[in-house]
Amino acid sequence: MMGIVLFKVALVVYLASAVVYGGSLWGRRVMPARFATGLMFAALVIHTFSFISRWLAEGVIPAIGLYDVLSFFAWVMAAAYLALQLRTKTRVLGAFVSPVICVIMVIASVELGGRVGASAMLKGSLVTAHVMLSITGEALFAVASCAGIMYLLQDNLIRRKKEGSLIRLFPSLRDLDRINYLCLFWGFPLLTLGILAGSFWARIVWGSHWQWDSKQVWTLLAWGLYAFLLHQRLVIGWQGRKAARWSLMVFTALAFLLIVGKLFFQTAHNFM
Amino acid sequence: MQLVLIGMNHKTAPLEIRERLQLSCGDVERALPELMRLTEVREAICLSTCNRLEVISRVTDGEQAVAGLKSFIYGQGNLDIAEMERCLYVYRDLEAVRHLFRVTSSLDSMVMGEPQILGQMKEAYRRAVDHRTTGVLLNRLSHHAFLVAKRVRTETGIAGNAVSVSYAAVELAKKIFGNLKGKSVLLIGAGEMSELAARHLLRQGVGRIHIANRTYARAEEMAALFQGKPVAFDRFPEVLPEVDIVIASTGAPGYILTKEMVATALRRKRDRLLFLIDIAVPRDIDPAAGEIDNVYLYNIDHLQDVVDANREVRKTEATKAEEIIAQEVTAFEKWFNALSVVPTIVALRGKMEGIVRGEMERSSHWLGGLEAEERLRIEWLAASIVNKILHDPIIGLKEESREKDELPYVAAVRRLFKL
Repeated sequence: MMGIVLFKVALVVYLASAVVYGGSLWGRRVMPARFATGLMFAALVIHTFSFISRWLAEGVIPAIGLYDVLSFFAWVMAAAYLALQLRTKTRVLGAFVSPVICVIMVIASVELGGRVGASAMLKGSLVTAHVMLSITGEALFAVASCAGIMYLLQDNLIRRKKEGSLIRLFPSLRDLDRINYLCLFWGFPLLTLGILAGSFWARIVWGSHWQWDSKQVWTLLAWGLYAFLLHQRLVIGWQGRKAARWSLMVFTALAFLLIVGKLFFQTAHNFM
Repeated sequence: MQLVLIGMNHKTAPLEIRERLQLSCGDVERALPELMRLTEVREAICLSTCNRLEVISRVTDGEQAVAGLKSFIYGQGNLDIAEMERCLYVYRDLEAVRHLFRVTSSLDSMVMGEPQILGQMKEAYRRAVDHRTTGVLLNRLSHHAFLVAKRVRTETGIAGNAVSVSYAAVELAKKIFGNLKGKSVLLIGAGEMSELAARHLLRQGVGRIHIANRTYARAEEMAALFQGKPVAFDRFPEVLPEVDIVIASTGAPGYILTKEMVATALRRKRDRLLFLIDIAVPRDIDPAAGEIDNVYLYNIDHLQDVVDANREVRKTEATKAEEIIAQEVTAFEKWFNALSVVPTIVALRGKMEGIVRGEMERSSHWLGGLEAEERLRIEWLAASIVNKILHDPIIGLKEESREKDELPYVAAVRRLFKL
C-alpha cells in the first residue's frame, strides 16, 4: 500500500514539474526549467521508493501488469532524461519529456486497481528481464523522440530566422542531436536483449522462439527500423534533421502498431 | 539621508564635454582625495567612463555640498560653466539611489543591458574603498546596487539578447553547436566586419581560424593576429570540410560559395553541421546553400532582423527592470530608516545610563556608608528599572522602523528626551 501512496505522490510531483516546465516555455525563461528539473528529480526519488516498497511487499520485482510496466516506463524516461542533464545542458527539453511521463503515469494510475497478481506462467526472472529490458529500450526511444521533436522545432526556428527568444530558450541542436543519439545507442541493445530474453522464455513455455504473434511482428519490424537507423547514424553518418525525423517516425510507428495491435488483433502476448 | 549624486552622461552631455572632463581611470586617484577635501563631503565614490561621470557622496549640508561638488566638476573640465551647468544633473537621496541602481543595472547605458558598466562601477567602488572614502552608507549602497544589477540580469531578459550583428552571429552559432570550444572557422575575406566577428568567436573558445583573402598578404597578416592559418583564395573550398563556421565578407560581385561546393564539403565532413554567415553586400553565398539539411545560412539582413527584434525585447524587459529597481529603492529606504532608529535607541540608552550614573554620584555620600555588595545591588536595581522602562519604547521604535516609511516615533522620542 505504501508503494501506491508513494506512486501517487510521485505522480503529483511529476505533474508539478510539467507545469513549471510549461511556465518556462510560456515565460521564455530558463530559470523555471531549472527548478522544474529539481522537481522532476524529487519525483524520481519518490517514484524509486515506491518501486522498492512494492518490491519488498510483493517479494518479486514488480514488472508484470499494465500498471507496473507503465510506471516503470515513466521511471526510465525520467531517469534517462535527468542522467542526460549531467552531460548536456538541455533543461528546457524537460518541457517535452515531462508531459509524456505525466500521461503515462496517469494511465498507470487508472490501472492501479487492476489485476496485480500475475499468472504462474509469468513468474520467473526471464520474464522480468524480458519486460524490464524491452521497456527500458522503448522508454529510451521515447526520450530520443522528445529530443527529436525539439530538434526539428529548433531547426525550423533557426531556419525561419524569426523568433529570437524561443531560439534562445531551446537547447542547442548539437545537444539535442547527442541526446537523440545516446538514447538510440543505449536503447537499441537493451531492446535487443529484451526481445532475446522473451524469445528464450517463449521457447520454454510454448516450445518455439517465434509464434507469428501480432505484437511480436510489430516489435520486430520496429526493431528492424531502429537497427537501420542506428546503422545509418554510425556508418553512413546521418545526423541532425534526418536522424531526428527518422527516430520520430519509427517511434510513432512503434507506438501506433502496439496500440492498434492491442485493439484489433488477437495476441498471445496479451498479459498486460 | 543627505545623499547627493551629481553627474552627466551620454544623454545630457555631448562627446566634446565628456572628452574634456577626462576624469578617466588614472585621474580618479587624484579626484577622490580632492572630493574629500570639500568640507561637506563625508563619503564619496567617483565613477568615470567614456559615457558618463557620476559622483556619489554622503554630505552634511545638501545645498552647500551641491555647490562644492559642482565647482569640483567645473574644475576638472576647464570648460565654460554655463555650458557645463546644462549637462549636469543632480539627484538627492532616494532619487540618487534610484539613479545609481539604474546606472549599475545598465538601464541608463547607451546600449541598454551591456555588461561592462557593472564592472566599471565595481572598480570605482574598489578605488573608493582603497582611498577609504566610503562609510556605512556608501558601502551599503554600493553592495545593494551590485545586488540589484544581478537581480535585473537574472530576472529580466534585458541582457539576454545580442544587440550587435557580430554578437548575434555568435549567439546563433552557440544555438547550433552548443559549445564553440574547438570549433573551427573559415573567414572568406579579411575585412573589418569579419575581424570583429572572429574576435567574438575567439573569445568563445573557437579553436582554429582559417583565413582566405584575395590579397594573400592581408590573409597572412590577419592569420598572425589570430594565430590562424592563411589559405590561398582559390583553394578555400578545400578547407570547407574541416570548418564548422564560415564568415564570408568579400567584395566579389557574384556568389563565390555555391550550393554544390557546400554539398560536396558536407559529404566529406565528419561532423555534419555547418553555419554560414554571409555579411557581404552583394552576397557571397548562394542562398540555395541554406536549403541543404544541417546547413544554416544567415545573411546580413537576417542578422540585422535578429538584432532589431532583440532591441525590442530589451525595451519591454526594461519595464520589468524598472519595477525591480523601484522595489529595491524601497528596500534600501527601509534599511536606511532602520539605521536612523538605531542611533536614536543608542542615544536614549546613553542618556538614561547617564542619569543613573549622575544620581548615584549625587548620593555617593550615603551610598559610601554601605557594604560593597549592597551598593552593587542598588546599582543593579537602578539599571533594571531603566531597562524595564525603556523596554516597550525601544520595541515600539524597532517595530515602527520595520513597518512604516515615516518615523514619527523616532522624531517624538528625540524631541521628548532632547536627544
